[in-house]
This record gives sequence, structure tokens and C-alpha cells, in this order.
Amino acid sequence: MNDPMNELSSPVLLEHLFRRQAGRTVSCLAGLLGFEHLQLAEDAVQEAMLRAVQTWPFHGVPEKPEAWLFRVAHNHAISVLRRSARFESKAGELIAALEARTQSVENVDIEQNLRDDELRMIFMCCHPELAPDARVALSLKLVSGFSVDEIARIYMAEENTIAQRLVRAKRLIRERRLPLLMPHNGELPERLDSVLEVIYLMFSGGYATHTGEDLIRRDVCLEALRLGRLVADSSMAAPRVDALVALMALQAARLPARTDSAGDLVLLEEQDHSLWDDDLITLGYYYFNRSIAGEEMSEWHVQAAIAATYAKAKSSEAIDWPAILGHYDQLLNMTASPVVALNRAVVMVKVHGAEKALAALAPLEGHPVMRGYHLLPAVRGRVLAELGRLAEAEAAFSAALECDCAEPERRFLQRQLENVRAGREEPHLDKSSAQKTPYPGPSSTCLLRKSRQT
Amino acid sequence: MPKYMLLLRDDRELFGKLGPEEMQKTIEKYFAWRTKPFVVDGAGLMEKTGRVMQKKNGSMSVTAGPYSESREVMGGYYTIEAADFDEAVKLAADNPHVNFGTIEIREVAHRSA
Repeated sequence: MNDPMNELSSPVLLEHLFRRQAGRTVSCLAGLLGFEHLQLAEDAVQEAMLRAVQTWPFHGVPEKPEAWLFRVAHNHAISVLRRSARFESKAGELIAALEARTQSVENVDIEQNLRDDELRMIFMCCHPELAPDARVALSLKLVSGFSVDEIARIYMAEENTIAQRLVRAKRLIRERRLPLLMPHNGELPERLDSVLEVIYLMFSGGYATHTGEDLIRRDVCLEALRLGRLVADSSMAAPRVDALVALMALQAARLPARTDSAGDLVLLEEQDHSLWDDDLITLGYYYFNRSIAGEEMSEWHVQAAIAATYAKAKSSEAIDWPAILGHYDQLLNMTASPVVALNRAVVMVKVHGAEKALAALAPLEGHPVMRGYHLLPAVRGRVLAELGRLAEAEAAFSAALECDCAEPERRFLQRQLENVRAGREEPHLDKSSAQKTPYPGPSSTCLLRKSRQT
Repeated sequence: MPKYMLLLRDDRELFGKLGPEEMQKTIEKYFAWRTKPFVVDGAGLMEKTGRVMQKKNGSMSVTAGPYSESREVMGGYYTIEAADFDEAVKLAADNPHVNFGTIEIREVAHRSA
């Protein structure tokens, strides 16, 4: 048969090609058009994808799909500008810039150009003048090509809330004229810190509530890692960027082991280490070694050191708890964060016993940051159960279940509560049953999110 | 076996609600359906190139296609083989297009030998 469609068979598109290309093309177009025309850049990309979904099923995938999408978006932007030439004084100039860029698509420098465009876009989306949650949403939308619906799913928010957040952020960009430029030397440290914080917020949004049921969360973690590497391997590089990349890679390596086949949480200590992703661990160590080459010593370094200590253990029994406690002491000194203190208390059980850990938890009660945070009563419940104080443990787990948390964590807490109740009904089983269920591992992913609010 | 022609009309607004990842997944679903054994052939139709011809009072009138400005655009067609209309409808129901417009199904008349 000479039917051209039969030659198509079932073409394979690169995984996440559209998402990636959406981010890159918006970044490139916005770079050429300026922040005033962010919406036009977004519309043009949407138009290109729309044409693709309408025509590719019949015509097949173009030979160079990325270039096709890029070109169609460019042409759309040009035609919109032509129509608006009467109202838009700079239209001619902008069209010329777009045309020049379109002609250079085949250019060898294109990769480097696109990376620079993406970096500029990241720095604009993470501008300190924008609210922190707006920075995250904006980065996911513009740099990473996630849809409003996907962002809402990641953060368990209403779609409308996210849409409003994006609208407000884009309005602020126009009003404050936040440019698509790399930061100057003077403002670089502050701007870079904001970028790192946003990248990690992005990462922990995917990691903290990773259920295994929704692949979007894994996608976010890997995207955050990609952006981290983009910054780490650019002219904006700094040792703390390497440390952040190491932290994310080492944590992401554990993703496959974090949930069981039923989608339930598996604690760090119960995880099958053979499920950890070796490539990500190798990558993590590579960036970790890079991060300690200089003088700089940031919170990211200490967190990466904690993740590296876990990753080093061949099995749960081989975890070097004293070393981890040492890192937490250091982190607590740097941040004075109650969330760090909470995680440190979990490690203290391993090193100094439950009695000391309970004493370390006491000062955290009533701390404003801890209000409504399920992990404080959850950890207290485990420590109390270990001490055989089951009535108090039961009350603590019940209190934890009153707080907001992700569904797999809720199921986990429910199991803990049931274990303690069963233990109370059969007093002779108290100790042994309590000891069989381990502690929730330190939830280092929540660390910065909470500590930065203090 | 009887052949059926599926005429696909797109509703751009419905496609427009998709994010990039969903667009890609949707394209992949179209491809997956296209390779099923019951599909005989099919092709896309170019956008904005429709013409309607009609002879009026002895002179030919050629106008731009009637659908160029309407919301629904004929995106393409497929021919499939099915035992009967019920089966044809069932097979077409798996095509992702049912979410993004309409599918008109017509049985292709075959000449008796």
C-alpha cells in the first residue's frame, strides 16, 4: 500500500517532549519579546501545540518535532505582531528579532542559546519581589511546561487558586517591570538563593507526598533536578548549587523504594536499598564532591551530607546514625529551625534513646511553626510508644490525624494508631509490638519549606 | 467485510484546554488507534484550503469552504472495517477524537459484483 499513513506505524515521541519544548520555546520567545509580551509568548506556544495535536495524528510527526513546534510558535507570534503593528510601536523591531532567531534554528549555538533563555526565565520567575508560592507556580508553568491542572495536583490545591496565583504574578512582573536578564554581581547571591529555594520547593512538592499513584510527582522531582543541574553547570554556578543538586539526586534515588505496591509509605529504615536508583546516587556523589571543593558551607551542604550518609548505607542496619546526628546538630546551629529540631529528635532516639528524644521534643510544643504540623505529634507518638506509654502515644497519634497531611501518610498514621491500640488491649505484647514498628524517618524534605517560614 | 468512513471534526476549544503533556499523550493515543488492524486507511485534510463549487445559472461559483470560519473543522477521515454499524461505533468510540469534536460514521456503499 502506498498510503503514507501506514509508513508512520506508531511513531515514538521523546518522553515529555511537549512539556520541555513548551518551557524552552516560551523562554526563548519571552527573551526576544521582553517581559511585556509574556502572554504572547505563552499564546504562541499554545497555538503551536494545538496545531500539532490537530495535524500530527494524520500527517505524522515531523522529522524534527522540536524545530517544528518552535517555528510554528515563532510564526504565530510574528503574525499576531503584524496584526497589532498599528497599536504596537515596537512591532517592527520585535518581528525582526523573531525572524533573525528563526533563521538561526539550525545554528550550532542553539543549545547554548536555549539554555541561556531558560536560565534568564528561571531568574525572572524566582525574582524575590514575587511571593514564594507564586515563584514556584510560575517556574513550573513557564520554565517547565506544567499545566495549571498539573500544578494544582502537585500542590493539592484548587485549579482556580493556582490560575489566580499565576495571573497575579504575571501582573506583578509587568507592573514592576521585572526584566528577563541575568542578575548583576551585586544582587546575584540573593537572586541565586531564591532560585535554589524555589527549585527545592518544587522538588519537595513532588517528593513529600509521592504516592506512587500519580506519576506527576516523580516528574516534578526529576524536573527540579534538571533545573538544578542547569544552574549548576552554568555561569551562575556556586558550590551551594552543587550541594542542592547532590541533595535532590540522592533523595530522588530513594523514590522507587518510598512506596510499596499498594501505594503506602515505606519508611527509610524499611526500604529495600536495592531499589535505590544507582545512577542518581552516582550523580549525587559527583555533585556532592564538587560542592565540597570550595570554602563555602551552606545549609544545602549539610542537608546533602545527611542524604549522602543515608545513601552510603548498604542496608538499614548500616546507617551511621551518630554521623547523621552530627550533621543535624550543625544544621540546627545554622537554622535554629523547629523542623530541623524535630528531625534531629528522631535521630536522637537512635543514638541516645527515647527518653532523651522526648525531652528534645518538649520545647517544640506550642511553637507557631509547629501548629497543625502532623509530624510533631506523630514523632511524639512513636517515642512514647517505644517508652511503653501507650495511652499517651494513642492520644498523640490521634492528634496527628487531626492535622492536614497526604493520603499515604494518613494511612500510615492510622496503622500506627491501630498498633498502639492493639498493644493496649494486650498488655503483654506492649513492648515487642511497639518496637517492631520503627520511627518515621527524618523528613528532610519538609525541612526548608518550614524552616524558611520562621 | 463492510467498510465505514469516519469523518472527524475538531473543536479547537476542547483541544485548547489541554496542557503540553496532555497534548502529547493525546497525539500518542491517536497513533495507537491508527495502528489497530481494523483501520484500512485515513488522511488528514489541510486547514483553511476548503473550496465549495457550485454551478449557478450556468456560471461556476467557487467560494471558500463553508467551515473555515466555523468552530468545528473537518480534520480528517479514516476508513475502517467492521461487521456492522454497532461494531463500527464501538471501534470508533476508542478513538481519542470523541473527546475533541465529533465523529460522523457512514457506511461505504459497495457495488455488487
